[in-house]
Amino acid sequence: MRLSPAQQQWIRDAVAASFGPSARVRLFGSRVDDSARGGDVDLLVELDSPVQHPVRLAAELAGRISRRMHGRKVDVLIAAEGLSEQPIHAVARREGILL
Amino acid sequence: MTPNAATRQRLAFMSRIVDKEVRLLLDTRRRLFTPDMNAQRLQALESDPVLADRIEAFVSRFWRLQDTVGDKLLPLTLAALGEKVGPFADNLDRAERLGWIASSDAWFAMRALRNQMVHEYVEDPQLLWQAIVAGSQFTDDLVRAALALIDEGRRRGWLDANPPGPAV
Repeated sequence: MRLSPAQQQWIRDAVAASFGPSARVRLFGSRVDDSARGGDVDLLVELDSPVQHPVRLAAELAGRISRRMHGRKVDVLIAAEGLSEQPIHAVARREGILL
Repeated sequence: MTPNAATRQRLAFMSRIVDKEVRLLLDTRRRLFTPDMNAQRLQALESDPVLADRIEAFVSRFWRLQDTVGDKLLPLTLAALGEKVGPFADNLDRAERLGWIASSDAWFAMRALRNQMVHEYVEDPQLLWQAIVAGSQFTDDLVRAALALIDEGRRRGWLDANPPGPAV
């Protein structure tokens, strides 16, 4: 995984601040691959309860993380009760590393 | 500090572009958010190419104005004021301090929203709808920031400095 322990910690903190302490976050996509370089940061946030305004919350979280990573592109995908499950969610769960 | 003629000319040019992009974005938003527009209509997007084109136009103009303001007009205006021009996030912080934008964090969120508005990627119509509605709300902030920057140059008389073209 190509995120430093410090980056992982503040991503966990940012997720908890946006979605509460029970939210889980997984890193998936090219950052999981140790042999790649650079690349976007793809995150899956898993929630146990339904969420209001998931798109706006995801954008705010992605914006905060992007800012800490000097403007690097960050995509946040949300899995929660009430949101439809898309193929990308399965990929993220299969490949993703829990932070 | 008074910027030199070349900087004033660039600023005047960029302000005209931003002014045009603001009008186009607002016009596109008005045509997208008609009274009958709702999440249900997004379910049939593949069989409604006119609506798909309208969304595309709105998203791309929202996108373009963010880039023109954030990457071009903002650094130019900071430079004209004699402020330090630095990395993007630092420029946004200065813009916030100078009252041109409401929040630099919100600007980053607005940038992150862009990918969630691309209808080819977002397979859930409800999420696409939420993204477009959020984009519409952010449009107000974006337009305010764009006009605040243009106004800064105008108040200082920098935009009138466009020298006339060669006599014919």
